[in-house]
Amino acid sequence: MRYISEDNFFALLGALRSDYEVYVPVKKGDKRFYKRFIPPTVQPIEGKKKDGEVLKPAQTDDIVIGEVRPVEPLKAFFYSAREVVAEGFKDYIPHSTDKPFAIVGVKACDLKGFKVQDYVFSGKGRSDSGEKDGDYRDPLYIKNREQNLIIASDCTCAINTCFCLALGIKPHPQEDFDINLSQIKGGFVVESGSPKGERLIKKHSSLFEEARQGYIAERERLRTGVIKEVEGNIKENHVPHQDLYKGIIAKNIESTIWPDKAKTCVECGACNVICPTCHCFLLYDQKDEKRMERLRIWDSCMIKDFARVAGGANPRPKLWMRLRNRFEKKFDFFPKAAGIYACTGCGRCISACPAKIDIRDVLKELVGNV
Amino acid sequence: MYKSGNPYRPIETEVLDVITETPTIKTLRLKPREEITFKTGQFIELTVPGVGEAPFTPSSRPSVTDIMEVTVMRVGKVTEKIHQLEKGDIIGLRGPFGKGYPLDEFKNKEVLVVGGGCGYAPLRSLMYSIFDISGEFKSIFFRGGCKRPDEMLYRKELESWHDRKDLNIRLTVDVGDKTWKGNVGLVTTILDDVKMDYSSGVAIVCGPPIMMKFATMKLIEMGFKEDSIYLSMEKNMSCGIGKCGHCRIGIYYACKDGPAFQYSKIKGTPEIWA
Repeated sequence: MRYISEDNFFALLGALRSDYEVYVPVKKGDKRFYKRFIPPTVQPIEGKKKDGEVLKPAQTDDIVIGEVRPVEPLKAFFYSAREVVAEGFKDYIPHSTDKPFAIVGVKACDLKGFKVQDYVFSGKGRSDSGEKDGDYRDPLYIKNREQNLIIASDCTCAINTCFCLALGIKPHPQEDFDINLSQIKGGFVVESGSPKGERLIKKHSSLFEEARQGYIAERERLRTGVIKEVEGNIKENHVPHQDLYKGIIAKNIESTIWPDKAKTCVECGACNVICPTCHCFLLYDQKDEKRMERLRIWDSCMIKDFARVAGGANPRPKLWMRLRNRFEKKFDFFPKAAGIYACTGCGRCISACPAKIDIRDVLKELVGNV
Repeated sequence: MYKSGNPYRPIETEVLDVITETPTIKTLRLKPREEITFKTGQFIELTVPGVGEAPFTPSSRPSVTDIMEVTVMRVGKVTEKIHQLEKGDIIGLRGPFGKGYPLDEFKNKEVLVVGGGCGYAPLRSLMYSIFDISGEFKSIFFRGGCKRPDEMLYRKELESWHDRKDLNIRLTVDVGDKTWKGNVGLVTTILDDVKMDYSSGVAIVCGPPIMMKFATMKLIEMGFKEDSIYLSMEKNMSCGIGKCGHCRIGIYYACKDGPAFQYSKIKGTPEIWA
């Protein structure tokens, strides 16, 4: 276990910029957003445009490594909301020439999203269908997964919508990161979680020191505190634990929960795009015969035409059927196909829903009806 | 499974010929610039440049590997444009995708194929594959129905199958006309004279959802086992590789695990007949 001081940490982020596009969570109001990291020394003058973007002077004060997950889900760095996946007939993969991303301050709930996204895009074979691993790989995602760097961090607090513990996740990363940061006074306890992370620490070894016992003890104390906060949330909102989810969809297929909960839904799809596990997309061909370009755009299963076929048949013409389908995918399909519930307890869909549909309430009712 | 490095890029494909089958159905003879081999029942995605992509199951003999035939009913934006294609046009093709019919599992069994409407297209490919090794099946039955005689896809070819010694075939139409000498009524009305041991037989059904629903109910009533009934599920297959999410049926994706499924595998999921 290592330690890095805050100053050295910002020096590290600056150094990473030679190999990566570095993104850090920045606080705006009471929310956090990923922003490109600009070291204090190379701040452009306010209002000056660079790469078409107005860059404001970076204030490291706004950067929040701890706290909780940012508004945007991590998946956007691995499979973007809109990207070109094929051009013409030539067999090559359109790659952007940009540097890979180094994403800083990634929280444990978002890392769990990888379990789902990796299953989908890495083409994990289904033994019951006689498939081999990699039969259905997605080269664009895999490249991003290999090249991007993940600097995760412990949550240092919980917000009301946090319920990760109910999904079996602790509010501090335990796997699927390159390095993890645990904020303590004046700096961070650093843990490497991959050979890539270990190499990174070695390369910049002068910035790190061995973590003292006191630092590790402080980390444990802080972690315990955050767990208590999330536990409090779960208790207050009566969120059932995932151990109780088995069979909740099958037993509630004909339940009135679905039409009840769908009553206020406005079909905006925010719950889908904000979700770290939702992966559905639309292949869209540019309407230009001379320059064939195929785009992949995030799609939403709540939208009416999602499953409609050209002949007009729609398996889910009613909104409540689509709401049921969304829960079926998360709490029936993924546990059966990949051995995991496709929810991370990040609570983003609760905050994003203009209709106040609360996944915790739905789960509570589904479990209650079993 | 795709051979290509990029699963989303289509292979350049020349339209060799366009055959008008019925007022709403055309068959394209296609020559992909890269060889594509498919198993009967697998599907492909056709790209009309500047318009979009749509899934179809080839209607031709899988053993012919340089030319593929795809029969297309005009129902939406992409198929509208496909119907305007002419000899020499260049389009795109991806695939094949899905699992195809498990022909090996049908061997030494009595096989019943039930088709309706445009469902004949994939079934023609299946029948060619069955005819190629017809000695390996105990017996082969074909039962087909469609709305009207002038809408009967491959009518001449289907009628010529009456002469085959290795096939027991009956056709029906919902509403007859002067040219029609055969049965009039739904396809479920010509299933009763299929003389076979239903409990050990295999039934393959492809057609419009409503026809598949009633045919399945009838087959079960007759004594076919639920895992011996294979249904072609028409879903919104797009990526073809189980990623885009549009064609999910329960715990399966029609594109990757289907599009033909044993009824036993999907019967518990809601919305399968739509």
